[in-house]
Amino acid sequence: MSAINLKDVYKTYRGGVHALRGVSLDVHDGEIFGLLGPNGAGKSTLVKVMMTVIHATRASGTVLGLPIGHAEGLKHIGYLPEHHRFPEYLTGTQVLHYYAALSGVERTTRKKRAVTLLGRLGLEDWGKKRINTYSKGMLQRLGIAQALMNNPKLLVLDEPTDGVDPLGRREIRDLLSELKDEGHAIFLNSHLLSELEMVCDRVAIMVKGKVTMQGTIEGLTCDSKRIEVEIDGEPPEWAQTLFDKVQGRTLTKLGDDIVAVQPLLDRLRAEQFTIRSMKPVRESLEDLFMRAVDYIDNPGSHGGAA
Amino acid sequence: MTVFKALVIDAYRELSAAKLFWLTLGLSALVVVVYGSIGFNAEGMTILFGLFDIESEYIRDGSPWARGLYLGIYSNFLVTIWLAWVASVLALISTCSIFPNFVSEGAIELTLSKPITRLSLFLIKYLVSMLFVMLQVSIFCFGIFLCVGLRLGEWNWMILAGIPIVTLFYSYLFAVTVFVGMITKSGIAALLVTGVFWMTLFSVSLSEGILTTIVTSQEVQADRFQEGIEKQQSQLDEIILKSPEDFRIETRQARIDKLNLDNKDAIELLGKIKPWQTGIAWTLTLLPKTAQTIGLLERWLSTDDGFDIAAIMQGDMRELEEIEEFEPTSHNALRRETNRRVQDDYEDRSLWYIVGTSVLFECLILGFASMIFCRRDF
Repeated sequence: MSAINLKDVYKTYRGGVHALRGVSLDVHDGEIFGLLGPNGAGKSTLVKVMMTVIHATRASGTVLGLPIGHAEGLKHIGYLPEHHRFPEYLTGTQVLHYYAALSGVERTTRKKRAVTLLGRLGLEDWGKKRINTYSKGMLQRLGIAQALMNNPKLLVLDEPTDGVDPLGRREIRDLLSELKDEGHAIFLNSHLLSELEMVCDRVAIMVKGKVTMQGTIEGLTCDSKRIEVEIDGEPPEWAQTLFDKVQGRTLTKLGDDIVAVQPLLDRLRAEQFTIRSMKPVRESLEDLFMRAVDYIDNPGSHGGAA
Repeated sequence: MTVFKALVIDAYRELSAAKLFWLTLGLSALVVVVYGSIGFNAEGMTILFGLFDIESEYIRDGSPWARGLYLGIYSNFLVTIWLAWVASVLALISTCSIFPNFVSEGAIELTLSKPITRLSLFLIKYLVSMLFVMLQVSIFCFGIFLCVGLRLGEWNWMILAGIPIVTLFYSYLFAVTVFVGMITKSGIAALLVTGVFWMTLFSVSLSEGILTTIVTSQEVQADRFQEGIEKQQSQLDEIILKSPEDFRIETRQARIDKLNLDNKDAIELLGKIKPWQTGIAWTLTLLPKTAQTIGLLERWLSTDDGFDIAAIMQGDMRELEEIEEFEPTSHNALRRETNRRVQDDYEDRSLWYIVGTSVLFECLILGFASMIFCRRDF
């Protein structure tokens, strides 16, 4: 079953601003799914539509098998909004209790989970302190703990590592992996591509209110696999035809067939060229992202498929 | 129930974190202590636990005047001035930011993502936001209840009617605060507009009171002139019957003519003022009746044989009037009759008129505010 299955989600704000232009997404159970896109792409709007904070102009599909905004579905979703602001008069433990109670979690369960989650997020000594004494990173970790208080089937995290130091980010990444292993589906909205690359099973790239690419990072970048050979000296004439690309002293052969490159290497050696390096290269998530953005701006150029 | 409890506890935490909450509570406690310091003995009354003695023939231990004075201070001063003005202003300052904070960016997203409908969330939040006033008024009224019980030996449960009455009064204003807060997302704007609205209500209520008094006064005058005309006319008829040439006929006729002229003037003036009074009375009907809601407490606390401090202040000495004979057309008699009719008019106004129409207005405003809350994208 899909944790999230959205079809044709549209959102047009007053004044005719089209924030979402028919978004369709599929997030599987037990996977970490990353949504990325440039500022203003509509990522947060999409998350808010799922969480009923914003009303979609038109939408169909399901979240946890139920229509978007269904109370029973919301009960099993943990949500961490971007730029969240908890009431400053509460302590860490009170924050956890308050939001879990709004999700309908019983008091005894709340008490147990609050202790466990504060410990898991490294806030065990801070539970009784007012949150106006917390650092931004601590607030972020508290936010994640809050999102886990109802033991959600689906976790929706909007910029979860915002304001967190590198060590904290690593801890959060480890936590996400653990949660995935425990069976939670995780929907991650972040602009930190390297982080998404490290934890996500699948990603979607949104640009200007549309999902332009969606799939596994491996699948999305497989077309970009290539073998790069770096030599000393000016490349020979024949390299222009036998390699797919020649740029300076770097000769590129598309695909990942290392065997197919061997005769070319032999010929280079035979002509006294020194081979400095040979490496299989794949497009990074950043390259993919840039390609998706570029595709929307120049649809006729290259790549990109929803 | 878990959600409701969570919102109640959160509202209490939010209020108790505000210094103004404790300041208001402290001032309320001080007012109760000062009230409790008023006592009565065989010679009269004492203030500040016997620091000052006031000898009085009427106001002393066990007299109905002492009871009336003590309860009158509560219903006419403590409720009308302290609770309905000072404490309410402090409460509005304390609570004006509750809804703007509630719907502010970063705070509302998480709340809306919970499995509770927006309408329920809005209504529960509205109710629990009035916790400030309910707590303050409850503590105050219980304090007064104890003072009255200990000082007069009378455990008057009607004193506690102040709790729903003041809360209701406050809710009329708070509905406007919420509505403006929902539109502007600004606590200051909500407070300012509520202040202007309150002053408007006060002005409309005051204008209605003044115009009603003027209209009633003209009606009383017209009635008296008519009575005078009829009396003079019957005397004149008797005189003419006895002696058509009597020298008094001319003066009597002149007096009747003068009364007719005065009566005509009074009726003309009444005709000019009445439409204004009707218009403003209708306007008041549509608006929350803050002063009259607070006045309910005085109405419920007063007894037929009691001492009515408000009436005394308005010059309505009913008891004395029954003892002394007054010239019915004298200025004082007209004023007393006017006051009596106005007072009767207010006392005849039903609970539905005072509370029902006010609550309808409140529901209308809350309806608009909840519609904005339910339909808005945050």
